[in-house]
Amino acid sequence: MNAVRALPSKMKTITRLRCEIFQTSYNPKNLRTGAKYLRSRLRGPSMMEYYPKTISLADVKRECPELEIVNEAEEQRLADVEDRKRRGKGTPKKAKKKEDSRRSAKKR
Amino acid sequence: MNNARVLRDIKARNGVLKNEVTRRAYLYVARNTTLPPQIRHQAQLQLNTFGKYTRPTTVKNRCSETGRGRGIMSEFALCRFQFRLKALAGELNGVHKATCTLFTLPCYT
Repeated sequence: MNAVRALPSKMKTITRLRCEIFQTSYNPKNLRTGAKYLRSRLRGPSMMEYYPKTISLADVKRECPELEIVNEAEEQRLADVEDRKRRGKGTPKKAKKKEDSRRSAKKR
Repeated sequence: MNNARVLRDIKARNGVLKNEVTRRAYLYVARNTTLPPQIRHQAQLQLNTFGKYTRPTTVKNRCSETGRGRGIMSEFALCRFQFRLKALAGELNGVHKATCTLFTLPCYT
């Protein structure tokens, strides 16, 4: 019986010792110490591995500008935008006031 | 070429990676009930200043082929249809169509 009665206090010391040895936080009262936020692994690095890596022409151009690579599709796109602007079909200016925006004009 | 939703997801993943350590530190302070409430509140206010694309919950596994957000098999980063197409084309190692040729049970109708 004696051994059984002594068990809780012994368990306490054992837990404390275990926490010291394995460097975990000793928290006998189960307080919210926020230790779980420090304990859990960082998830960012594995998140970055989800999508397979792709290399675009723009990336190569940014990495080594000395190669002077011409991205023809991009050049054509920019030329088209310029052309559209010249014909007065460019993107509209950003609305300064709320009344100027197309969305609010539609409502009225 | 990735679609806009995938690009947004990549942006969120980058944000999480960059801000994870500082966010964790603030979370630790804010959720620690042994610290004074004033300090915890300050930490919570700091947490609120982080942008939308720094929270890990904004990250969603999408299909790397089509950008679809539902029915994704995370191991292959593909949606169910793309998974089927690729598996049937033999582009996924170790995946083949299940068939049962051992037992040919008679079919009673």
